[in-house]
Parts: sequence; structure tokens; C-alpha cells
Amino acid sequence: MKSLTQIGASVLMILLFASCEKVISINLNDTEKRYVIEGNLSNEGGNCTVTITQTKNFNEDNNFPGVSGAIVTVSDNGSAPKQLTETTPGNYTTTAINGTIGHTYTLNINVGGRTFTSTSKMPVLVKLDSLYVEESFFFGDSTKVVNVKYSDPVETGNAYQFVQYKNSVEEKTVFVINDDYTNGRPVTTPLFIFSDDDEDKKLKTGDIIKIVMKCIDPGYYKYLFSIDAATGSSNNATPANPVSNITGGALGYFSAHTTQSKSLVVN
Amino acid sequence: MALSRYRVTAIVVRNPILYAGCHTIFNKNQHLIKIMQKFFLLVVIGFSTQFIYGQQKFTISGTVKSKRNGETLIGASIRSKNVGTVSNEYGYYSLTLPEGPHILEISSVGLQTQELQIVLTKTFVQNIFLDENSKDLDEVIVTAVPKGRSLKSTQMGVEQISTKEMRNIPMLLGERDVLKVIQLLPGIKSAGEGNSGFFVRGGAADQNLILLDEAPVYNASHLLGFFSTFNSDAIKDVTVYKGGMPAQYGGRLSSVLDIKMNDGNNQDYNVSGGIGLISSKLNVEGPLQKGKSSFLVSGRRTYADLFLGLSNDPSINNNTLYFYDLNAKLNYQLSNKDRLYVSGYFGSDKLGVGDLFGLRWGNGTGTLRWNHIFGNKLFSNTSLIFSNYNYQINIRSGANDFTLFSQIRDWNIKEELQWYLNDKHNIRIGVNSINHTMRPGDITASQASSFNSLNFQRRYSWENAAYVSDVWKATEKLNISYGIRLTAFSIIGGGDFYDVDGEGRVTDVKHYNSGELVKTYFNPEPRLAASYGLNNSSSMKAAYVRNVQNLHLISNSTTSSPTDKWIASTNIIKPEISDQVSIGYYRNLDDNKYELTVETYYKSMQNQIDYRDGANIYINGAIEAQLLYGNGRAYGIEGLLKRKTGKLTGWLSYTLSKTERKINGINNNQWYNARQDRTHDIALVAMYQLNKKWSFSGNWIFYTGDAVSFPSGKYTVNNQVYFYYTGRNGYRMPDYHRLDLGATVQLKNRKRWSSELAFSVYNAYGRENAYTIQFRESEDDPSKTEAVQTALFKFIPSISYNFKFK
Repeated sequence: MKSLTQIGASVLMILLFASCEKVISINLNDTEKRYVIEGNLSNEGGNCTVTITQTKNFNEDNNFPGVSGAIVTVSDNGSAPKQLTETTPGNYTTTAINGTIGHTYTLNINVGGRTFTSTSKMPVLVKLDSLYVEESFFFGDSTKVVNVKYSDPVETGNAYQFVQYKNSVEEKTVFVINDDYTNGRPVTTPLFIFSDDDEDKKLKTGDIIKIVMKCIDPGYYKYLFSIDAATGSSNNATPANPVSNITGGALGYFSAHTTQSKSLVVN
Repeated sequence: MALSRYRVTAIVVRNPILYAGCHTIFNKNQHLIKIMQKFFLLVVIGFSTQFIYGQQKFTISGTVKSKRNGETLIGASIRSKNVGTVSNEYGYYSLTLPEGPHILEISSVGLQTQELQIVLTKTFVQNIFLDENSKDLDEVIVTAVPKGRSLKSTQMGVEQISTKEMRNIPMLLGERDVLKVIQLLPGIKSAGEGNSGFFVRGGAADQNLILLDEAPVYNASHLLGFFSTFNSDAIKDVTVYKGGMPAQYGGRLSSVLDIKMNDGNNQDYNVSGGIGLISSKLNVEGPLQKGKSSFLVSGRRTYADLFLGLSNDPSINNNTLYFYDLNAKLNYQLSNKDRLYVSGYFGSDKLGVGDLFGLRWGNGTGTLRWNHIFGNKLFSNTSLIFSNYNYQINIRSGANDFTLFSQIRDWNIKEELQWYLNDKHNIRIGVNSINHTMRPGDITASQASSFNSLNFQRRYSWENAAYVSDVWKATEKLNISYGIRLTAFSIIGGGDFYDVDGEGRVTDVKHYNSGELVKTYFNPEPRLAASYGLNNSSSMKAAYVRNVQNLHLISNSTTSSPTDKWIASTNIIKPEISDQVSIGYYRNLDDNKYELTVETYYKSMQNQIDYRDGANIYINGAIEAQLLYGNGRAYGIEGLLKRKTGKLTGWLSYTLSKTERKINGINNNQWYNARQDRTHDIALVAMYQLNKKWSFSGNWIFYTGDAVSFPSGKYTVNNQVYFYYTGRNGYRMPDYHRLDLGATVQLKNRKRWSSELAFSVYNAYGRENAYTIQFRESEDDPSKTEAVQTALFKFIPSISYNFKFK
């Protein structure tokens, strides 16, 4: 009887939801190159890095060479700007800035005759209290999900990004949450991965999981919140570029954030 | 013999010479007598027209009903030569004619045309009962001759579907669905594969006013849009207005879909039902007082979830996935002049994963109506209408423990008078007052939850309208209808209202107390239409209509979602306004066997709403800060060729159109194609009655792919590839086409019991139509990116069994 009902259920599922996927070729227009900036400033290790790349046409490969020769400066709370040095092509760093909570940082970039600026205020650090793995069952399949715990402060405007590494491989899903609905509460949030049944992505016993928690400012939160529209999926809201906090017409973001991490082994 | 009795007799009258020849075929005395009477009367009328001036006029009025089940007939034509009227939405008619003898010809789609010989010497009441065409098969097919789309009526941009027409059209999983049938008509476009959502003449999905017995239905779909909330068994009549909306309708820009429920059989008890692949239906109706009052109860439920329950695995049998609909109606004749109708609808979807997650949503509507007839020329209807849509999400997963409830609720009162002033004027006057309450979201969380309990600001508004319109038969050839609808939309406190600058920043907050008036928007909506008869079989029509919309749907998805949110106009969100002009040509061909309609329109829209990049529509506070505003325009030409008689019936519809938006802040403020812009739309629908037992049907659909935004480039951020977009909707999905086939076999047709089996195949040649196109890193070669097309629904067969117990 069980097998019969299972057949019945699967026939229905197939009829209703069977879909077929195929790779198609679409003639996409080429476009003028635009600068893409990733600026990160953390409270840990005194690290400030800026990466500059450019957009490419869709049919080109996924190797994005850095843009050399830019003048990149960062100023700390309005003090004299400090210039970052280019370590590898397109990567600019300095250790002269000590990322400090509550300070506002201003990024200024001159490249190819254009100027881009952005500011970001490093938010207060909210402690990552603990991690645990929870197993849930859905239509006969088990899924393991990492949960993170922290206590949101009473003040509003906190936002968090989590980055999950499984056996040192970074998970592509963007985990981002703010305190619109959770202000001032002890928060437990599951890091759901919509894996399209990709077995490689599933968490298994023995996997080493590292979670990096970043407390981010509202500008970078908005950027991450809106980046979903640029992931290439057309079935939800209208695709669009994420909302950048950089002025001057560049893609990308500048984020001053706190960083902390915790690890566990999946059992 | 391929002609109906009535139509043969008509020929005989016109050609007395044929009379002898036909005599042998129709050698029934009654026919002879009838023909002679008719001939005599025609002569009398012919003479009397010479003396028409100075003649007294009298009024004949009453209700037109089906003889078989007592259902009142909407839009039945009652005419005497060149003077005629149509029955209203309650079957009532009133016709003023000169004194003397008349032959009244009463016809309604799918029913036998009846003639009534009267000699008018005083004003009187005459109820009319039309028979079904069910004598024998040849006649069924032939006598289904409707008199053709009314060439004289000023109404244009209208399509009417009878449930009979709907029966045979093959549908996805065999679920008959009015919202999918209307998508086969010109100017009405499907919102996507298998979707019950639709776009009319370039309008958005929220610009359709969907009424069920006058009550607005705010979310007309089940199961993520694949099925509509309308159980076809409970429906009597479906009328879609694409343009030239009469003044009694208002509140949405693009269309009115007016769905009327069956009243219930007042002659006999009837039980009918169907067992389909995904749902079962049961319909019970019967008289309360024979010939006077009746009731109807109709239900539908899906049962895919019952299979889940049979499993031993708790991760399967704990899940819930179903929807149901319940329609009920009662009508009661209080006196010869008073009738009361009570009707209600309740439907809901439930989706649940054990105790962890639950989502349920549904509509409820209720309508109480009182018809009263004053004298012979004045018909009054008073309606009290309730309408509700809500959804609730429950999450009980450890600290993720909360319930979210959202609702839109209307109380609505309407009074309308239809005054059949004389044979030249038919006047409607009405008032309408609606109270809207919107609860965008109430979050209830437990103590241990990660979430705060929170009520999003409720919004209250009061929508008032008054209208007057007149259908004026100006000359023999020219009919004009003109009217105006005045609307006042008042936003009522309490709550915070915002000022928002061009960048979407809140610059000021004003608090209003409960009941305090925030703002009122006044809008006059003129309506004008005219028809001009070119000859007996063709006419031209033109119309202008302005519509105003004060409720706007905020959605973050291109398909219908239960969590789509209705918001009212505010101090910042202005009423949407549309102006539409249309011109049409109508022709009945080949002795009314075919009907050709060509209409062209231009529509301009103001205060259209779109979203800022990265908009979050579920925030508490100023939703205005997430929105952008601009204009829209839509134009096109629509053609419909319909074959209405014979063994083969059906239609060919074609639409050529363009729909654009210009929104400040999108696409560099330039015009861009709206998502629903499609250049060509073709539908071919054919039904073939082979014999008494078998009938076949097929439809073929083709349309240009939707306008979409595809990336023009790519870049890397945080070690991932993202896509770079330049313009809005600058690309197109691949062209869509599909063939569906259906067959119905009558199993039993006894006096008290009949049954049939219906088969269908959706997408019979297995075309892989793109449901979505996604862009991603190539699975084979991660150094490349690729476009991936996902298709749904290929060769979907279905079988259903329908029965009727009389």
C-alpha cells in the first residue's frame, strides 16, 4: 500500500511540477564597461582592502582582471585621507587604518579619469553567541541547517551578514538580516540554503562549518538585500542592479563592519 | 434538415412562394396556423406603421427565465421589429411599444427563440420562459443560433461567455476555469503558463475589477495562480468589459469581469458533480417554493493531499496542501414586485509542513440584494455587499515562532434605479459607498520568539460614487449612451502619513487621529459611447471612458502570490487614472453563422506605480518610500471571427498591441515596454460535435514572448558572479505556442441520470515554452556563464467524470 501511494503521490508531483531545463543561447547586447568596487574595512587586523574590477560581456569568461593605477584613499572620521597601495593588480590595501566602532570612513577613488566616493559607519559589535545545527524533514528528505544566535541591541538600525564556510569552501547564498522585526530580542536565525537538491551543498556529518558574522551598516545591508535581483533569476521581481552606496556611477559597495567567527563540526 | 423550425418559418414568411414547397417538410397543422397568423400580423403591423403618429404607447414588462430551471436570463433580447431591449442582470425587461398587435421575438444565447403574439391595449406584466434546445441533436446544433452580437447596442469592448461555451474547452488538468477561457479572447492576455491571472489591453493584473455577484474578489487565484477561485459549476454568466465600461462600474483602470452565480433551479431538485484529476465538485440546487424561490450550494475541493495522508512517513503525512471553494445562493420571491437574493462565497488554500510552517489564504464574499419593481418602468436594486481577503502565515520552528495575519475587508452599499423611461431612453441612476479596512500585517510572536509582536499601520478609507447614464435611441440607426460617474475617495485616520522626497526619503510625518480625514480625491469619470448601424448586418461603434483606481496591488513577484498586498491611495500615492478611446466595426456574416468584430483602442494612464530598485514592500512605515510613479500608454487592434452554428463552432482571435510605461527613475526616464507587452496574440478555439455521444475540441495559442530584462554584462563581487542590467524590459522571452485537445463522451443520458467522461491533453505537441530564463555560472565549465530555460507542463493528460442526478 505504501508503495502504491508513493507512486500516486509522485505521479501527481511529476504532473504538477515536472519541469525541464535546458541551456539556450540568447543574443545579449554588449555594453560599455563599468567599474566595480568592493571596499571592505574591518575592525579586526587593521585591514582595509579595496578591489577594483570592471564589467564584462555575458559571453566572455569569468576571469575578471583587476584595474591598476587607481588612486584609492580612505579617511577616518574626517581626518587626513590615507592612500592604499596596490599589492596585486586591482587590489589596494593599507594597514594604517584601525577600524574602530562608531567611526565614519570615507572612500575616494580616482581611476580612468573618474571619481567615486562612498562613506560607511562601522556599527556596534553584537556578539555571536552560539551556533547549532538543526535537522528537519521535508517530504521524506532530511535537511541540516546551521542556526546562529545573537542578542539584538535595543537601538534600531542593526544589520548582520553571515558567511558560511563548509570545509573551507564559501557558501554562495547571501545571508543577511536586519532588526526590522527582531529589534531588541534574543535572535535565533536559520541559515537556509536553497540548494536545488544539489547533494554537494548539503551538510553532512563530519563537515566543518565556520560562520563569519559581520555587523554591517544600513547602506551595505541595502546592497546585499537588493543583490538577489542581480543573481540572474527572472521569475521573481524585475531583475535590476543592487542599490550601491557608492556615488559616481560605479557598481559595488563600501562597507565598514565588525567581524567575528565561530566554528562547529556537524554531527 | 439543417435549419431550425423557427428559422424555416421566418423564410416562409419572407418568401411566400416557398411556402408550398416547405409544406411537405413541415406538414404539421400547427405550423401552418402559426405561419398564417404571423403573415397576418405582419400585414397588420405593416399597415399600422403608417399611422404610428398620434398612437398611444403602452409598456410590457416582466422577467425572462429559463423554462427548465427557472434561472433568470441576463441579456436576453426582446424585440418587436426595430424596437427592442435586453433583459438586465436580474432578467427584468421593460419595453414600451405603440398600441396594437406585435410579434415579440425573445432570444437568448443557447436557448430556443420564442415568439409571442400580443395585442397591446394596456400596460401589463408578461413573464417569459425560454425553452432549452434539446429536442433532438440536429436541432440542438442549429437552433443554438443566437441572434448575433447586438449590432445596435452602444456597448463595445465587451465579451460574454456562457458556461455552455466554457464546458468543452480543454483546460490544464481538466479544471474548467473562466479566467483561463477569457484569456482566449482578443485583448485579454494570460499572465503566464497555466496562470489564471490576466492582463487587459495593456493594464496590470491589479487593474481588473473582478466581481462575484457584485462583491470584489481581491485575490482570484488558488495554488500560486494555477487555478482561479471560480468554480464553473456555480456560475451563470461571465461578462468582461475591456473598454467602454458602463457608469455603474468603477474602481479599476483596465477591465471589469462581472461574474454572476446561478440562482438555483426553482423547478426541480438537481444534484450534479464531477470527479477530476485534482479536484471533485458537487452541486445541489432546487426549489424552495416551486417556480418562485430556490437555493444552490456548490463546493469544490482538491485532494492531492489525501495521498499524503496514506503515507506512514510523518515527514510526508504531516503536510497539507489543498484548496476548496464553497458557493451558496438563495433567492426568495417576496411578492410579484419584490425578490431577495442572498449569495456567498468562501474559498481557501492551505499549505502546511507539519507544525513548522503554515500558510493559508482565502476570500470570502457575501451579497444581499433586494429587487423591487415600481410600476412598469422602474426597477430598483439595493445591495449590501461584504468582501474579505486575508492570509495568515504560521511559523513554529524553535525561536522562529510567530503568526502573521493580513487582511483587506470591504463593506459596501449600493442603490441603483433603472428607469425604462420610454422607447428612446433607458436611464440608470445609482449611488455606492464602500468602507475599506486594510491590515497590512499583524505579527503575533511568543515570549521566546526571535520576533517582536507588531501591528503594521492599519489603513481606512471610504469610497463614494454616484452615477447617472442614459442609453438613448437617437434615430433608427444611431444609439448613444452617455453618463458620468463621480467618485470621492477619502483617506481616514488614524495613523501616520508621510511626506517623501524624490530620493525616497521620508521628510515629514503627520499623525492623524482615528476618524480624522486625511485627504479626499474627487474624480469625475465621463463615459460616452455611440453605435451607428451601417446596414442590417453591420455597424460601427465608438467609445470614450475614464476610469479611476484608488486601490493598488503591491507585489514583489510577476506571478500572483497570496502575500501580494493591497494599499489605498495616500497623500503621496495618487489615484491612477486612465482614458481610453476605442472604435469598432461589427458584422454578422453568412446569415448570422459568423460574427466578425474588429476593435482598435488607445489608452493613456496616469499615476502608474512601480518599485524602486531594492524595494522592500514588507516594511512597516512609509511604503511610499519604496515606490516610483509615472505614466503608461497602450494601443492596439483586436479581431475576433466567431462561428456560432453548425457542428463546428469556435473562434479565431488576434491581437496586435503595444504597452509601455514611463516612470521617473526607471530606464533613464524613457518609455519602456511593460512586462505584459506582447506584440501578437492568437487563439484558435474549435469545438466539433460529432454525434450525440462524442464531441471534440481543441485550442491553439500563440503569443510573442513577454518583455523582460536580461543582463547586458556581468561582474564579480564577494567572489561571485552577478549580472549587470542596463535597460528595463529590453529583451523578449521566446515566442509561446501550444495546442490543447479535448474529447467528451456522453455515457448515459436518461431522464433522471446523465453522465459523461471528459479527456484532455494540455500542450499536446509538447512544446517547451519558457516559464523562466535564468542566468548562472555554467555547470560544466564554471569559467563561463549560461542561460537556462525552464519549461513546465508538457503533454499533461487529464480525465474527469461528470454526472447529473435530476
